[in-house]
Amino acid sequence: MSKPTLQSPLHAFGLDAQAVAPSALNRVVFSELPHLGYIVLRGKTDDSAFMQGVASVLGQNVPVQPRQVLQTAEGAVLWLSPDEWLLVCPRSRRDAVLAALTAALKGLFAQVVDNSGGFTTLRLAGREHLALLRQLGPYDFESQAIGTLASTVMSKTSVTVVRTDAVGVLLVFRRSFADYLWRLIERTAKPYHPCIAAPTAVADPVFTPLLTA
Amino acid sequence: MSGTRVSLAGTRIDTAQTIRFSFNGRDYTGHPGDTLASALLANGVRRMARSFKYGRPRGIIGAGAEEPNALVQLGTGALTVPNIKATQAELYDGLVANPTSGWPSLDFDLKSVLGRGSRFMPAGFYSKTFKWPRKLWPLYETVIRKFAGFGSAPTEADPERYDHLHHHVDVLVVGGGACGLLAALQAGQAGLKTLLLDEQNELGGWLLSDTTAQIDGRNSEAYIRAVRAALQDLPHVTVLTRTTAFGMYEQNLVQAVELVQDHLAPTQRNADMPRHRLHKIRAHHVVLATGAIERPLVFGNNDLPGVMTVSAGQTFLQRYGVLVGKAIVLCGTSDLVHDAAELLASAGAKVTVADVRHGAKARSNRYTVMAGYGIAEAHGRGEVSSVRLVPLHAERDEAAGPGTTLACDAVLSSGGLSPTVHLFCHDGGRPVWDESVAAFVVPRTGRKGVACVGAVTGTFELADALAQTTQAMQSVLTSLGKSATLVVPACPSPQRMAARPMFRLPDGKAEGAGAKAFVDYQNDVSAADIELAVRENYHSIEHVKRYTALGFGTDQGKLSNVNGFVITARALKRPVSEVGTTTYRPAYTPVSLGALAGTMREECFDPSRYTAIHASHMARQAALEPVGQWLRPWYFPKPGEDMHAAVNRECLAARNGVAVMDASTLGKIQIDGPDAREFLNRIYSNAWSQLAVGKCRYGLMLDENGMVMDDGVTACIEPDQFYMTTTTGGAARVLNWLERWHQTEWPELKVWMTSVTDHWSTVALVGPKARAVLAKLCPDIDLSPENFKFMDWRAGTVCGLPARVFRISFSGELSYELNVESGYGQALWEAVMEAGAEFDITPYGTETMHVLRAEKGFIIVGQDTDGSMSPLDLDMAWAVGMKKPFSFLGKRSLARSDTARAGRKQLVGLLPEDPHAVLIEGAQIMQSAVAQPDGNNRMLGHVTSSYYSAFLGRSIAMAVVAGGLERKDQTLHVHAHGKVTPVKVSGSVFVDVKGDRQNV
Repeated sequence: MSKPTLQSPLHAFGLDAQAVAPSALNRVVFSELPHLGYIVLRGKTDDSAFMQGVASVLGQNVPVQPRQVLQTAEGAVLWLSPDEWLLVCPRSRRDAVLAALTAALKGLFAQVVDNSGGFTTLRLAGREHLALLRQLGPYDFESQAIGTLASTVMSKTSVTVVRTDAVGVLLVFRRSFADYLWRLIERTAKPYHPCIAAPTAVADPVFTPLLTA
Repeated sequence: MSGTRVSLAGTRIDTAQTIRFSFNGRDYTGHPGDTLASALLANGVRRMARSFKYGRPRGIIGAGAEEPNALVQLGTGALTVPNIKATQAELYDGLVANPTSGWPSLDFDLKSVLGRGSRFMPAGFYSKTFKWPRKLWPLYETVIRKFAGFGSAPTEADPERYDHLHHHVDVLVVGGGACGLLAALQAGQAGLKTLLLDEQNELGGWLLSDTTAQIDGRNSEAYIRAVRAALQDLPHVTVLTRTTAFGMYEQNLVQAVELVQDHLAPTQRNADMPRHRLHKIRAHHVVLATGAIERPLVFGNNDLPGVMTVSAGQTFLQRYGVLVGKAIVLCGTSDLVHDAAELLASAGAKVTVADVRHGAKARSNRYTVMAGYGIAEAHGRGEVSSVRLVPLHAERDEAAGPGTTLACDAVLSSGGLSPTVHLFCHDGGRPVWDESVAAFVVPRTGRKGVACVGAVTGTFELADALAQTTQAMQSVLTSLGKSATLVVPACPSPQRMAARPMFRLPDGKAEGAGAKAFVDYQNDVSAADIELAVRENYHSIEHVKRYTALGFGTDQGKLSNVNGFVITARALKRPVSEVGTTTYRPAYTPVSLGALAGTMREECFDPSRYTAIHASHMARQAALEPVGQWLRPWYFPKPGEDMHAAVNRECLAARNGVAVMDASTLGKIQIDGPDAREFLNRIYSNAWSQLAVGKCRYGLMLDENGMVMDDGVTACIEPDQFYMTTTTGGAARVLNWLERWHQTEWPELKVWMTSVTDHWSTVALVGPKARAVLAKLCPDIDLSPENFKFMDWRAGTVCGLPARVFRISFSGELSYELNVESGYGQALWEAVMEAGAEFDITPYGTETMHVLRAEKGFIIVGQDTDGSMSPLDLDMAWAVGMKKPFSFLGKRSLARSDTARAGRKQLVGLLPEDPHAVLIEGAQIMQSAVAQPDGNNRMLGHVTSSYYSAFLGRSIAMAVVAGGLERKDQTLHVHAHGKVTPVKVSGSVFVDVKGDRQNV
């Protein structure tokens, strides 16, 4: 039997086949960052054993400030709540990181959950990406600092908007709402003459390197 | 005689260009800057409509959003819009508009013939007249509906775009008149991120109708220009015109609609831009500079075309260069009427002012004043041609003599100003009556987060308004941490004679005996109707509104409400401050549904959720069924099959061979922690302490009333880790439920719960041949029945993928649920189909799933339960662990007298006597075949699930029946759609009662 192929949540839209080099006409640019690893981490920040256990795997502490994004040795760590983080790592490292975290936190009050099948990430860049964000959701995107994220809503679904540079943002969202969110974004973005691009054409410093690692 | 275009300095139209348009089938010309109303008046057109109830001819009364009469059908085909006010429709070349009333025509309206019997049609007459006989109600409704209503909804899909835009600002200023401009300038210059909105096509508000204002030495036009330029230079200030703030909500959210392209001819519109844009604005501070709307006086025949408000007459002249008549009578209660009189007279009209104040004098010799006079009634056929003026008593609102008649071709009245308080009152509050200005006002000090400036507070004089604005803005700046000291612009304060507030002008007769005096034009509500409502004992202003329809229309009573409140107060002999106002609600003016939808159209209206395997189902021609937001395969018809044929085939395959279903939509929650077991014991009704690693158990979840709210299989993955499944539709609700109890009641329990619904794809492999298929795909799990029992789970490799295999069954057959990471879900499905091909593997959907589980008597929460069924009602006492040390949710309520009593509805099976009769779900069950319920023949329950069972070759059903568990083998009758079906009560397990098949 042939090796099964991994399909991202946006597989049905065939985005990578539509990739072009962005031109001046395209005021927003999209690129899916597919097949990353997503691991949910739960624990208490006042539990030093937990904090040390995680730090021993990631190389540093998980962020304790709300809505922070940190780049660590094993990928990007997103603060989602006072006791929940999302670790985004290269697919090739997913099994090893899961095992390492599980081992490091054995016997402690913590939870390590593989959720790699449940998410995908979409890069939204281009000189008017902020205007498009303001058309999609109620969060104050203009005030969002680099190195922060916001879990918010766009129409009838939720999405986490991560800002790692000034060029654009990364949208992290669930598989079963991916179809709806992509169609909503596509419809809303039409006046901006959007195009699909390869991730390297609109690379960000934190998530994009995880694709090739 | 009627309107004409005149040349005047300071108008806002471009007379160098001509635009063509049509109204009611006739062609006219106008100028850029005109509204449809100003252009029609300039062309001498007066008759715009026929009134709602009486069919009386109606014309334009106002100049803006307050217009009640001149509703037009604007545009044609897919772009047509009903009930646009002609006073708000910006003219463009090629505009087509038609009246929305008058049948067969504006000039001859059939309803007006009936309207001659108007004394038999006062307020409330519908409900008194069309009562009998009852069986004619549908006919009455059809006929009345034909007479009612205004424009028509479009019949073609809307081809234009709409969108939304969110704003976060320090200061939102609503209204770009003198005070709004000042407020925006003061905020912007202080460095605050500011948004200024105005509903008109350009800034200026009333300054556009009064060019004589002097602000800091500049006249109106120069002031507007200077502030606009200053605002443009401030990078953090945004100005939007043609934008109406229509609602203010919790936490200072303001919604506004921008008419982005309605002023352009359809062929000139940019397809990339929206037609309307909905702005959602979150401001630290909202500044309401919404001004005031002038109210007319109420007098006989005040609805004749040619009768307007003073501000409308002034606006049509100053803004649009249209003189509404040649011989104009004005009637007013304050100096406002003299500002207009001067302007109209210098444009060439013969002007007479009936000023209700006895000491009033003309400001110049260009017009005459009749001091201490009011209008008793207007006269004319189809339009106004004269008025009867009566002398007024100096103090009381009474006529002091028969009066005189004056010929005229236009009548303008002013009863004073009504502040536009709506946005401030959208929180449910009411404005307060200020006797000193005879108006309902909002506070000058606003409220937390909301400042009120200018005429909306009852500060009507410009100089006072600018000073009050500055004071209010100083507070706004301070609360936003800005220390700049603001300076009040210089503005002269002319001497004013005190106003004499009047509302319903006396005609020397009892109310209702003279000519009809209209209060609400759009709904034909007269002063007499309001007094009738009070006589009929409707004393709350909310009741008076609903009995008469005062304020109901698309104008929402902008000209009529305050007059109505005062007339009500006088009829009740109570002060108007006590009577108060009706409730203010969004939207201030009508908002298109397109604007509200934005881009949430068609497939973006509601999320449709799909599993990772969806493309496989579509490739196999699955029919789909919505389950919550998910679209799931319903059945997989082969060519030529209808649903029943497909489902029969699928069911037989599941019981006799092998079948496969996509079960990925179920909610899945990973639960970890030393207290996980205890947590499960508390939220499920059954016991979890002894569930070993590698084992699964069905869990029943009760709400606090002891009623079943969800169910699912939960597996023990590790000693401290569980994998919980929920129903598809209940997933989010159950996770919230678990979190709620953990966070608020048992925070000491060390447990984590995280959703993994989208991470796992689940393929259910079902039927006697399921093991054979799985064996081809799974090399490393011992599938023998002794080593992999029913309700076990194993980790292993399935088609080269790490997988969890759960031997659980919703069908009662040998069944394996294969879980892999969703990115490989479709690959797994296709591999299973390929491996099963030699066994004729059959994909099946939700319909077959329902039949199979019903044959086994398994409940579906939400179908066989409705929130009122306890586990004992469902004959599931085995799922209730009464000996658990800590209570479980719902336990205590099971002992309630009503929950524990005998005779409750209980889950049973039903077998129709005719084995081919399939009962209708929801059908009522009674003892007898007679449909009439009475003391002896009660409604006993209803059918919850009903199917044809291909395996049994007959119909089956599940039902809830009062005392059902005691009724085995009884014959009952099922009633639906006038038909009766006799049934026998049976157990709810129809196939394999001992449960052998799932254990093979």
